[in-house]
Amino acid sequence: VRSAEKDTSAAPKDNTTAEESKRQESTAGAPKQKLLDLIGNMKVEVSYRKKLQLLKASEKKKQATNQLEGPDSEGHQRSTEDIQRGKPLNPDLVKAASAVASSLPLDKKQTESELLAQLRRHEETTDKQKKGETVNIRNVISEMTVKRESPAQRGARISGRISLELDEDGERIRPDRFSPKSFDSRRSLKVGKRLNIFTKASTEPEHKLKTVSSPTIWDLEFAKEIAAITAQPPRNGFEEMIQWTKEGILWEFPIDNEIGMEEDAEFHEHIFLERHLEGFPKEGPIRHFMELVICGLSKNPYLTVKQKIEHIEWFEKYFEEKKEFLQEM
Amino acid sequence: LPCSVPVRSHYVDWRMLRDVKRRKLAYEYADERLRINAIRKNAILPKELQEVADKEIAALPRDSCPSRIHNRCVLTSRPRGVRRRWRLSRIVFRHFADHAQMSGVQRAMW
Repeated sequence: VRSAEKDTSAAPKDNTTAEESKRQESTAGAPKQKLLDLIGNMKVEVSYRKKLQLLKASEKKKQATNQLEGPDSEGHQRSTEDIQRGKPLNPDLVKAASAVASSLPLDKKQTESELLAQLRRHEETTDKQKKGETVNIRNVISEMTVKRESPAQRGARISGRISLELDEDGERIRPDRFSPKSFDSRRSLKVGKRLNIFTKASTEPEHKLKTVSSPTIWDLEFAKEIAAITAQPPRNGFEEMIQWTKEGILWEFPIDNEIGMEEDAEFHEHIFLERHLEGFPKEGPIRHFMELVICGLSKNPYLTVKQKIEHIEWFEKYFEEKKEFLQEM
Repeated sequence: LPCSVPVRSHYVDWRMLRDVKRRKLAYEYADERLRINAIRKNAILPKELQEVADKEIAALPRDSCPSRIHNRCVLTSRPRGVRRRWRLSRIVFRHFADHAQMSGVQRAMW
């Protein structure tokens, strides 16, 4: 069939395209039927929930039709449902629903109405969620956290059971007894956000910093516990090596020869130390001596620049003190 | 509370304690001693200066001298028979080596 179509390409193009399309329609009639059958079979995939909803929708419609003693028309049903829901659907969705209903080889009107009802329900749920009416339990539970009470609170609770307060009559107040006093004492005064009516608004970030910077021993212990539990033993040699590298037992590869020798000074600051000899006399045995000292220091790779400068300054001070003695000579 | 202070605050004996003190002082005065000795032990500076330096170094505390340090055994404080590599006396070394607690140490046989 295709070769015959190709032969007709010599003729003007418009005619050929029309002819080709006609031929395709006639020859492709069998596959189109197959497609339709497939779509019809696909409808079986609808889940039970949807089926229930469809059933419920159909029941409601039947009730609506039974209640209303007017003519049984699609438009009337639709109008009643619209009034019931009170919201117009997107016209595109309506068109799409009608197209889908027409493609399926079932009762078009019924399928269309069921689809529209489902769409309406979807919109309702989205609106409800937007307003925040529906209670999604999952969200609520995820936000909840287990409350950890500090030992201070625990002590307060225990002490709250046995009260040493005395009433006006001289009898002890039992925490179970209803009394306005006990209610007030249970609620502490410093809990909650301050209104700052009488005092200026205190700098809250300071308070926050205070609570953060004073980790109690219990917090430290808790942190240690967690670290101990989460630190699983290494499963293989690679993880063992990683652990050792973190601890510092194993060097990092490629080996850096200058690890630990972190100095900002360059080589010229180590070698050219004559600039520090400005405090000394330019001639004489002292200068000779200091030049030897500098020569030795420049060859010393173990001292830092600071240490070398300190060395030279010590000699400066020493010779300053001995100046009077030297001038006597 | 975790104890950050060492638990055993007593050295093996007083001689070990004195040795520890000498080591600390020697570390403190090491730089000064080196510099004064550099003035003393050269032929360039005048001799008077060197004599003054002699007196100065003699005035430093006696225990700051590194030659007063004696390598005693770390565990038993034994002054003699101490192997420098392990800082242990021969008896302690033998004890540990026989119990296979010295890494890489084996009884010699040839």
